[in-house]
Amino acid sequence: MASTVASEYSNEVKNVPIEHQFNPYSDNGGTILGIAGEDFAVIAGDTRNTTDYSINSRYQPKVFDCGDNILFSANGFSADGDALVKRFQNSLKWYHFDHNDKKLSLKSAARNIQHLLYGKRFFPYYVHTIIAGLDEEGKGAVFSFDPVGSYERSQCIAGGAGASIIMPFLDNQVDFKNQYVPGSHGTERRKAQYLTVDEVIKLVRDAFTSATERHIHVGDGLEILIATKDGVRTEYFPLKRD
Amino acid sequence: MNHDPFQWGRPSDAHYGNYNKKIAEASPYPKMNTQQPIVTGTSVISMKYDNGVIIAADNLGSYGSLLRFNDIERLFPVGKNTVVGISGDISDMQHLEYLLEDIQTENNYDNQYANEEEALKPSYVFEYLSNVMYNRRSKMNPLWNAIIVAGIEDGKPFLSYVNLLGVTYSSPSLATGFGAHLALPLLRKVVDDESDVEKTSIESAKAAIIESMKVLFYRDARSSRKYSLAIVDKDEGLIFEKGLQVENMAWGFAKDIRGYGTQKV
Amino acid sequence: MQAIAERYSNQSALVKELQYDNEEGLSNDFVNGRSQFSHLAPHIALPPISTPQEFLRAHTDDSQNPDCKIKIAHGTTTLAFRFQGGIVVAVDSRATAGSWIASQTVKKVIEINPFLLGTLAGGAADCQYWETWLGAQCRLHELKEKERISVAAASKILSNLTYQYKGAGLSMGTMICGYTKKEGPTIYYVDSDGSRLKGDLFCVGSGQTFAYGVLDSNYRWDLTVEEALYLGKRSILAAAHRDAYSGGSVNLYHVTESGWVFHGNFDVDTLFWEIKAKEGSFNNVVG
Repeated sequence: MASTVASEYSNEVKNVPIEHQFNPYSDNGGTILGIAGEDFAVIAGDTRNTTDYSINSRYQPKVFDCGDNILFSANGFSADGDALVKRFQNSLKWYHFDHNDKKLSLKSAARNIQHLLYGKRFFPYYVHTIIAGLDEEGKGAVFSFDPVGSYERSQCIAGGAGASIIMPFLDNQVDFKNQYVPGSHGTERRKAQYLTVDEVIKLVRDAFTSATERHIHVGDGLEILIATKDGVRTEYFPLKRD
Repeated sequence: MNHDPFQWGRPSDAHYGNYNKKIAEASPYPKMNTQQPIVTGTSVISMKYDNGVIIAADNLGSYGSLLRFNDIERLFPVGKNTVVGISGDISDMQHLEYLLEDIQTENNYDNQYANEEEALKPSYVFEYLSNVMYNRRSKMNPLWNAIIVAGIEDGKPFLSYVNLLGVTYSSPSLATGFGAHLALPLLRKVVDDESDVEKTSIESAKAAIIESMKVLFYRDARSSRKYSLAIVDKDEGLIFEKGLQVENMAWGFAKDIRGYGTQKV
Repeated sequence: MQAIAERYSNQSALVKELQYDNEEGLSNDFVNGRSQFSHLAPHIALPPISTPQEFLRAHTDDSQNPDCKIKIAHGTTTLAFRFQGGIVVAVDSRATAGSWIASQTVKKVIEINPFLLGTLAGGAADCQYWETWLGAQCRLHELKEKERISVAAASKILSNLTYQYKGAGLSMGTMICGYTKKEGPTIYYVDSDGSRLKGDLFCVGSGQTFAYGVLDSNYRWDLTVEEALYLGKRSILAAAHRDAYSGGSVNLYHVTESGWVFHGNFDVDTLFWEIKAKEGSFNNVVG
């Protein structure tokens, strides 16, 4: 129909509606990562918040202790991230009210978050989400989610602006990917083993100082939340502010 | 769904029509040439100091490049220890002003016999505004503003930002719009870190804000000389200074500016 | 009378601001918030604009616009075939978001129940979410009818669902594989266009052509179980080798009369060198 007359008017059929002038998304940078140990799990995130080339804040925490030993972080568009955290905390509160303060297992938290994300399948939350804590056997656990709720448990995962810098490093240093037993001439793989809390914190600090060096949206500060059977503790380390 | 192996699983053009790149590339910020003409207010700037917060905004309402109104007040006291500064679309700002008046009216019912126990705090005002802003953006019908909420809460300075997308953040110094590029570096020279706040007196903070308003007037073509400044101090309470003027200007640098005017060299 | 009274009574401005009809609606979402957790599937929100499909695609289709903001994880090579000993299901484990490998350890076979498997290709979340949902529907069927659901019925629940959402922007190509007394070993292919096809052999995903190449040329009905499992594994390996969007590892399943059996996870790198040495194949690769 549009091609009957070759005129300017033929384009009007596909005119962009006025509401599309508004783009409801932006990117606030930052990076997060989660690592599971034998009896602990951590989520770390830098504290810089940006839009385009401006630094909005040098200390805007984005990793949260939601209670029940569940660590939570949603990185990407920070308005969606904050909304998701609030919705999850609200959901957790209702779970406690409805189930006589029963502790929410990490597995169930993960499934709940899938539903929160998939509920906006056609107008997605622009975030990469990571949660961490202890599983039913007391072992460290990390779950990561794509923007619309597909999720997977893993030993370690990075998300956000610096993920492509950090993840290969983590693959090598946590899962010992592409590491072989010396003298085996690349035939025997180095066996995976659990790292201690101190080793993990060292790795996390190295990952973030490196990402800070090479990514403009990463820097200012590093906040690490550590979940163990005794509860959650926080550590802060400054990063370069340039 | 596209069954071509190289495009497998993707939406096919035959079914969905051509990919519309304009949507993905739409700007989250106002585009003057396509929006209907709107009256706008420029930057709001603010910072914390040892005993409170300072916030300032000029009194201009621009209609595109036309200097249309020069008596617009963009700082709004809410309750006894909060000031809200609003930049962006003025009609949306007036709608926000109406909302702020409404919550104050509602709050007076609860608070009048509660001996200030239920008084509005800056964090309450901020939570309210940020929820309004995020919900409006989620309805694809945003309020075209950037807002700074400043005040005192539990004896400590409070400062937070929210904009038309519902993006929120806090920092010891905050600025909206052009101020984020021009004024913020000057404010961060004084308070870059939360630990700098307790080392900063009201005098040095006020001097930094006044200096920033001057720099903005020099270079922001949509700014005015007249501005308002509000201080929320722990001991002095709310101090609202209206009708201030940028002073001690030195326009000597102007003759050296190249590239905008008609000069040849 | 009531209408007039309401018009002049004090109403919270927030109710109007957020476009609720009354204060109840508002407090339901913000104060109670409970209703949203009491349903099996959540209410799925649409962007409040005239062309939600175009909106979704503009922001998520990275094949058209690599700079688009939201990159959804996509899954890739899956296969299933019927033979005299039941069904073999084999899949890779790579998920990509644009050119970024989001994961090398995705579980692309979803264990709907001890007799039913679903495979995952296309949007990872779409498949994971709706096949989990399908699992719940199958369990409900079992409780209501006091017998296990047939593969035909299970796949039809899913295809009815995808047909309902046709055009909305879902992306899934899945095989529902199962064994019932009535049907024997059965495979249904169901996708997000609403298609539902019964068949003996399917490969689905961007690596489908590579897998078909190996599978078609070596497939026979009277394959032994061992041969069939090897063929499934070998076909996925071929796809993982040639298709950039497939890789990671191979997951192998065998569906029999007494339910499905997992036959292991094989790292593509290890498997490749092992099979190359054993078969004397892949001579294009020097090693």
